Amino acid sequence: MKDKLSKEEVLHVAELARISLTEEEIEKYQIELKELLNDVEKINDVKGYDDDILIACWSENTRLRKDEAKEMLNPKDVINVAPRHSGNYIEVPVVISDGEGA
Amino acid sequence: MKYLNLKIEEINKLLKEKKITPTILVEEAFENIENNKELNAYITLNKEEALKQAKELENKEVDNILFGLPIALKDNIITKGLRTTCASHILDNFIPIYNATVVEKLKSKNMIIIGKTNMDEFAMGSSSRTSYFGAPRNPWNKEKISGGSSGGSATTIAARDVLFALGSDTGGSIRQPASYTGIVGMKPTYGRVSRYGLVAFASSLDQIGPMTRNVYENAILLNAIVGKDDKDLTSAKKEEEDFTRFIGKDIKVLKLAVPNFFMSDIVNIEIRNKVKDIIKVLENNGAKVDYIDIKYIDKAMTLYQIIAMGEASSNLARFDGIRYGHSKENPENIEDVYYGTRAEGFGEEVKRRIMVGSYLLSGENAKTYYNKALSIRDDMRKELTNIFKDYDLIIGPTTTTTAYNLDDPMDDPKKSFMDDVLVIPVNMAGLPGLNIPIGFDSKHMPIGMQIIANAFEEAKIYHLASFIEKELNLKLDPKGGEHNE
Repeated sequence: MKDKLSKEEVLHVAELARISLTEEEIEKYQIELKELLNDVEKINDVKGYDDDILIACWSENTRLRKDEAKEMLNPKDVINVAPRHSGNYIEVPVVISDGEGA
Repeated sequence: MKYLNLKIEEINKLLKEKKITPTILVEEAFENIENNKELNAYITLNKEEALKQAKELENKEVDNILFGLPIALKDNIITKGLRTTCASHILDNFIPIYNATVVEKLKSKNMIIIGKTNMDEFAMGSSSRTSYFGAPRNPWNKEKISGGSSGGSATTIAARDVLFALGSDTGGSIRQPASYTGIVGMKPTYGRVSRYGLVAFASSLDQIGPMTRNVYENAILLNAIVGKDDKDLTSAKKEEEDFTRFIGKDIKVLKLAVPNFFMSDIVNIEIRNKVKDIIKVLENNGAKVDYIDIKYIDKAMTLYQIIAMGEASSNLARFDGIRYGHSKENPENIEDVYYGTRAEGFGEEVKRRIMVGSYLLSGENAKTYYNKALSIRDDMRKELTNIFKDYDLIIGPTTTTTAYNLDDPMDDPKKSFMDDVLVIPVNMAGLPGLNIPIGFDSKHMPIGMQIIANAFEEAKIYHLASFIEKELNLKLDPKGGEHNE
């Protein structure tokens, strides 16, 4: 078993996680992520369990909420928590451009 | 006069007789916190608001035992109008717009929130050293860690700043720091306490619980925070009960199991010997104790890594630089808002766990790892539940070592999981577990014992814990200077 991930593998998981990494971090995570991934492989040593899955412990207590409109948080307060906002809108950079770039 | 050193019954009596006021208690708490400032137990203090609230209480009737008492909250429990950071740069200016359900419950008892305690960033860690605000220090030895992730709550209770704190426990984060600092910490049954307003780490494991200087006060605080909540659909509907009801009762009736895994050589010999001493005491008082094997218990850490990192990667996707918290300045485009904000905002441990978690949940991996872990977890829960057909409680050490040095290396990504190897099985099965201090090692650092019950049987845990507490009668105030050994 190789002892570290390739640079490409680290960049792949960083992309899944939406985190940009410096060159220094990439090198560090090549080793550290591999160590954790080796650890979780131990799950393959477990045999003879049955296939039922436990989504939440004591799931007999869980239930669904009625789908009904009721008073929740004040929309104005929610908007105001956003780091960039204007009036009733949350501001983000241009997502769809006209082809000339944002 | 230090009123916060008295028993809560005595404080309550003085409040009722108007001999003291909530203001006096709040002022005393802030004085204690100021004197212990170097312990770094708090991220944010709520001084102005707490004093205002205390003043308002002066004309109210003292209607319950928690009335007017200060309480500290771990900084991942959201508080309306009071900064809540999760010890992360990404939330270091975040002011919530609503209260967690537990906060509403404490307010209905007229408890006074005095501040938000330090912790590992997003509760990911076992020493509180991943905090963006620096680690808290252990009141028994300031060069040692307080454990984590609820390290600040453990620290402020151990230092006797206040009587009450709340922590959260996903993989041992209440019990392990309680063990390292010599206090009582309870992780209730999953579903016992509403998680609404607890910033989610691993939703199928997270649970809020009380951290206190003694067993009785712990049970009293649990009484105040439990209950079904329409805002948390995993919260359980249960008859109201008094968790103090078995405290002080005979233990002759109790049958106890000690997992062999808990007494194996992964645990420091001083701790094992101390636990064996306690087992002798229990047997001499009529309790029946057996050593048993528990299937899967040694695999709990692997299951935890998969489930906790997987769920964390999903839960922490909400920190996108758009909805709340830190956002990268002058982003080039929308991608840069996501990638840049998260790169700037999260610390190393959190990034590591999110990346591994994202990988574990991506594509076919979800089946290979996450679903498989959920299946084995179900088997493990059944296995543990079966044990409670023959035994009332499971006991053993809480941790494999006592608190280690703050400057010990942090370069092993597995260390923070290994520290919790004995406390994680409880979270896997959704069971309640508590740490009770049982003595000190040769360096005078606290040793703790873990008591585990079947689901929703917290009262049985307090039963045994109260017996041990009374029997040992340890001096657990670090400033007391000496103890019984």
